[in-house]
Amino acid sequence: MECTYCEWRCKLGEESFGVCRMYHAVGGKVVERFPDRWSYTSSRMEALPFYHAWPGARTLTIGTRGCNFNCRYCSNAYVALADPAAGADDGTHIHAMTPEELVAMALKLDCRNIVFNVNEPTVSIPGLLRLREEATRAGLPMGCLTNAYGTEESTEALAGIFDFLNVGLKGFTSSFYGEYIGVRDVGPILRNLRTLARRRHVEVTTPVIQGVNDGDLDDMADYLAGIDPEIPWHVFRLLPEYEMKDHAYPSIDAISRKLEAARKKLRYVYFHNFVGSEWVNTVCPECGMEVVERLSLGCGGDKLEGFHCTGNRCPRCGRAIRMCGEYAPTADRATAACAAESEATA
Amino acid sequence: MSLAIVDAREWQNLLDLRTGKKVKDDDPRVQAPQTATLRDVLRRHPYPGDSDPRSNRWVTDSALDLVAAYEPQLACVVYGHQYFAGRYTPMTDVQRKGMMEELFAEIDRFVARSGYEPVVVGTGDMVPLEGEIDLGKLEGLAISSHWSARYAGLHRATPRDLDHVRSLAKVERVVGRDEWLAAFPDAEAVPARVPEHLLLAEEGWTFVTTGTPMRRPVRVPGRGFRIPLSTRLGAAPSLLDIRGLVLSGAAAGKKVALIVAEGVGMNDFLLPFTPCANQTGWHYYEPGDGFYLTLSTGRHQVFAYPSGYNYLDETDEKKDLPFSGYFLDFPAHALGDDFPGKSVAAGNHSMFVHMVFGADVCMECFARNLYNQGGFGVIHRFR
Ligand code: SF4
Repeated sequence: MECTYCEWRCKLGEESFGVCRMYHAVGGKVVERFPDRWSYTSSRMEALPFYHAWPGARTLTIGTRGCNFNCRYCSNAYVALADPAAGADDGTHIHAMTPEELVAMALKLDCRNIVFNVNEPTVSIPGLLRLREEATRAGLPMGCLTNAYGTEESTEALAGIFDFLNVGLKGFTSSFYGEYIGVRDVGPILRNLRTLARRRHVEVTTPVIQGVNDGDLDDMADYLAGIDPEIPWHVFRLLPEYEMKDHAYPSIDAISRKLEAARKKLRYVYFHNFVGSEWVNTVCPECGMEVVERLSLGCGGDKLEGFHCTGNRCPRCGRAIRMCGEYAPTADRATAACAAESEATA
Repeated sequence: MSLAIVDAREWQNLLDLRTGKKVKDDDPRVQAPQTATLRDVLRRHPYPGDSDPRSNRWVTDSALDLVAAYEPQLACVVYGHQYFAGRYTPMTDVQRKGMMEELFAEIDRFVARSGYEPVVVGTGDMVPLEGEIDLGKLEGLAISSHWSARYAGLHRATPRDLDHVRSLAKVERVVGRDEWLAAFPDAEAVPARVPEHLLLAEEGWTFVTTGTPMRRPVRVPGRGFRIPLSTRLGAAPSLLDIRGLVLSGAAAGKKVALIVAEGVGMNDFLLPFTPCANQTGWHYYEPGDGFYLTLSTGRHQVFAYPSGYNYLDETDEKKDLPFSGYFLDFPAHALGDDFPGKSVAAGNHSMFVHMVFGADVCMECFARNLYNQGGFGVIHRFR
């Protein structure tokens, strides 16, 4: 039977598992092969990166196994592309945990939310739906990083599960996606990005490979601005791993120059994923005040350094700064303001 | 005030080490000749990565370049590749042997080319991982900090938790905070930072707790009660005494190199050595901050950042020294602070070398969870 979780639309049987190897068909239904198997740790929102959601908050970051993409530069290949059937034998940590146990862990660690960030959430939607129920009971919002290659139905499901999403826009052409990501068509990704941005708080991340997709940055900026010029855009200096380990690191100066045009179209453009980046602070689009200061340690190490907004507004001119949830690093986690806000603006 | 130089390959940024803020061009530290020299050295030596076999060669090349440029009387050199690679990469005995031979060839190369009097210390053997002790389902919070294998701290443990951990076959011992503090009466401690209970794993076993890296190790530090020390400068019965050897060698007019080989114990050490005690009762230092700070300061530093302490509360918020890992302040009496002459340090242990030795000029890799970010230089003293 056909799996409709993502646009691969794999044909599944009891013993045939599709591209991500995470689902099979049992009794006329598509079901998870490894339910309630999770990895977890705690992190900070800025490290994921979310710069405009729950600033400074501690978060329980979780993941499963498997991915529906095969990015040639994947930095998580040892987890995302490992055979999920290997379980703990794949050289990583994975735990049998119920949704109740995951939520209890988040509360024990004083996390304000839960973010799925290790692999692609589309490959674990039923488990995430169960977790969402439990997280809602505990007043914990949820977020994720996604490649947005889901079908329209599963994109709706993601919008139902997650209050805030960081969508990976890895390129802008189908030829790029074909050659470097292993899927044929960029169309569904652009469609889903638009849908998600209408429904929820969305930030976008684009890893730049110099000489490969840096020529598309302007087009991407135009596309994002057409959806919503307030979408925060994280341009990542890609440190190639996996099959592209020997590819040169992108030039920071060259990419930064290329982003000057994008900064005129989008209000919040960041350039990071390298230690000491100077392009991680949020500047008020109206008066130019630095309203949020951050520090980049590269590779998932970004930190909040100072949050100067008052009620998510610029303290100098009063302009609203796009923000999902409030600044409150730990404790008092009961307010799921982000969910309410983003649904209200849909 | 210490200056930090980030080198992210073909791009450098100059920052104040304590605040993490960019330093203005007219700051005298930016104009200092030492800064220009260190920037050049960083540019000449792009870091190949922790797991890359060229990593230790990078240490030797960088250290030789620093020595030539600054002509210090003390060089601290840390070789860490075999620790990181051995920890995560399955290897045959032949491959491991080859890796150790390459390490000692690099040490030889540094010593031969620099002409410094070497004091070479290994941090202890690595042993194959036999299994893991998962503490994720306790009611209290278990934390195994800093990639520790043997130790985990237990916070807010319930009686049920304590019964459970005491029943675990591979937990060798549960040490209460008071017992731990009493074992090191002379070590400075902030008792509130010391976990209420410290769990000890049996050799070959390690804990899985919050913050445990996603990758599973294939080897972990073994029982490091005694570690190998190779030097012609005299005897050092314990880790505490090595600093004295270095200072006395320097006082005798020698140029001294303190060289650390991480993840190397008496089984793999390829130089003539004498065993050196790294033991206080049940405790030994794993290759981490406690080991290095004790080596550098000559006094026990078991509680500076105690094993298993709850680093989450301290690292979430804005803190000083943002590029120095979990360090909250400069350690007192680091070797470079108390050393009368000029000093340099180089090594491939990220966010670490510049703090533990306090050398005038330091150069290290900048890597996080084995992802290579480039190089990192620090100048503590402009002399
Ligand atoms: S979610 Fe997995 S099984 Fe389903 S269509 Fe996508 S790749 Fe295939």
